[in-house]
Amino acid sequence: MEEFNLQETNKGDISILYLDGFLDAHTSSELEKAFEKLISEKRHNVVVNFQKLSYISSAGLGVFMAYIETMRNNAGDIKLCSMSDKIYNVFDMLGFPILFEIYKEEQTALDKFH
Amino acid sequence: MDDQNKIVISSSTKYLARVRKYIEVKANETGADADTINQIVMSVDEACTNVIKYAHHYDTNKKIKIEVFHSKKQFKVSITYEGLEFDPNNVENPDMEEYFAKCKVGGLGIPMMKKFMNKIEYKCGSPNVNYLTLTKSLS
Repeated sequence: MEEFNLQETNKGDISILYLDGFLDAHTSSELEKAFEKLISEKRHNVVVNFQKLSYISSAGLGVFMAYIETMRNNAGDIKLCSMSDKIYNVFDMLGFPILFEIYKEEQTALDKFH
Repeated sequence: MDDQNKIVISSSTKYLARVRKYIEVKANETGADADTINQIVMSVDEACTNVIKYAHHYDTNKKIKIEVFHSKKQFKVSITYEGLEFDPNNVENPDMEEYFAKCKVGGLGIPMMKKFMNKIEYKCGSPNVNYLTLTKSLS
């Protein structure tokens, strides 16, 4: 199994990133590249699906902090969904729900854009 | 070079997954719950990441030694590496309200270590050898 895998799909003007594996200081650059690509394509509405992500470190958290302002400044957002309790606890422990919308279901995250 | 209670890695983020697996296996031996094990694993990951980035500047010729000592009461991880002196205890935790208000990036690794572990001890030896010990109490 790959350490980290990322897949992107589009639903209208919303891009969905599916994360799989371990998001750490070694793999977080792949997620950065995905956000850079979305910005270059002017796709600022993003849902990130964590269903298959089994680990996140502060390097992974930092990627979301690095791009949230750009997305919101362009009338978009990064909404997070489908986290396991283990992953949600990391976000919650540091207070990320203050800044990020986190939903249990992907469809709910998608619906919140419109 | 590995033995039962020690691994030595080259200073590269590509070995973080191996370190995490090693710590997870050793922590599992204690019978600790999944949350506790994850907190230990994450703390060691953050500590090694900081060494790789800030002490070794991604120089893969440098080494990091990770040793584990555990009993029923505590799980202790000692991280030994060469580099400039740096005591994470001297780093203040960020004000998270300000952190989010200003959309800051980075600087969360040490706060996570402090939150998850019961004790962080730092000692600088010579020449330029650093000893970082993370201790988690087990209930």
